[in-house]
Amino acid sequence: MQIKTKWFGTLEISEDKIITFQKGLIGLDEFKKYTIVYNTEKSEDTTIMWLQSLEDENLALPVMNPELFMEDYDPIVEDALLVSLGDVKTAELIVLVTLTVPSDLSKMTSNLKAPIIINSDNMKACQLIAENEKYIVKYPIYDIIKENAEKGGE
Amino acid sequence: MLALSRKKDESIIINDDIEITVIEVKGDQVKLGITAPKSIPIYRKEVYIQIQQANKDSANSVDAQALNNLFQ
Repeated sequence: MQIKTKWFGTLEISEDKIITFQKGLIGLDEFKKYTIVYNTEKSEDTTIMWLQSLEDENLALPVMNPELFMEDYDPIVEDALLVSLGDVKTAELIVLVTLTVPSDLSKMTSNLKAPIIINSDNMKACQLIAENEKYIVKYPIYDIIKENAEKGGE
Repeated sequence: MLALSRKKDESIIINDDIEITVIEVKGDQVKLGITAPKSIPIYRKEVYIQIQQANKDSANSVDAQALNNLFQ
C-alpha cells in the first residue's frame, strides 16, 4: 500500500509493517495506525527512526532504540497492562522511546518514562508509563548520541 | 463532576471492580488506596500530563534532515 509521510514523501509499505495502537499514544489517542520509516541512504540514520501516523501524514514522532544510548534501560510495567498486545510470553517485544528534537539540537531529549512497546509477532503496540522513579520524561541525550556517532565514525 | 464526601476509611466503588479508599487525611494531603484490576493503568495526573505534552513536543520535532546532520 502507498502511504504519505511527513518527511519522506509517498512510500510503498507492505501491510505487515502496519503497527496498531489500540489506545493510540498518550494524548494522541485518536490515531491508532502507524508504521516505522527511516532514511535508508546512510546506515547510521537507522539509529533515529520515525513513528509515522498512517491517519495523518503530518504526524510523525522520532523514535529510537533506547539501548543505543542507555545499555541497561529496563522499564518496569505491570504485565497485565500488556494484554492489548496479545500473548507476549513468547513474543519478541520491541521497545522504543520517543525523542523531542527542538531546532537547537543540543537540547534534544528522550522520553524514558513512557516507552513504546511493540509485539513484533502481531504488530500490536502500546505506550506505557514506567514505574521506575529514575526515568524522566525529558532525558537529555544529545551529548551521548554525538559521542557515539564520533566513536562510530573512527 | 460528581462530588462525594468521604471520611477516613470510607470508600467509593467505580464500575464494580475499582475501589478507592481514603486511608489518611493530614492537612491538605489525602492518602488514597486504590484497588483495581491490574490491567487498568493508574497514573498520577501530573505525570500523565507531562507525557501528553512530551508526545506533542516530539511530534513537533525538527525535520529529518537536521537530524541527519547530527551524524555528519
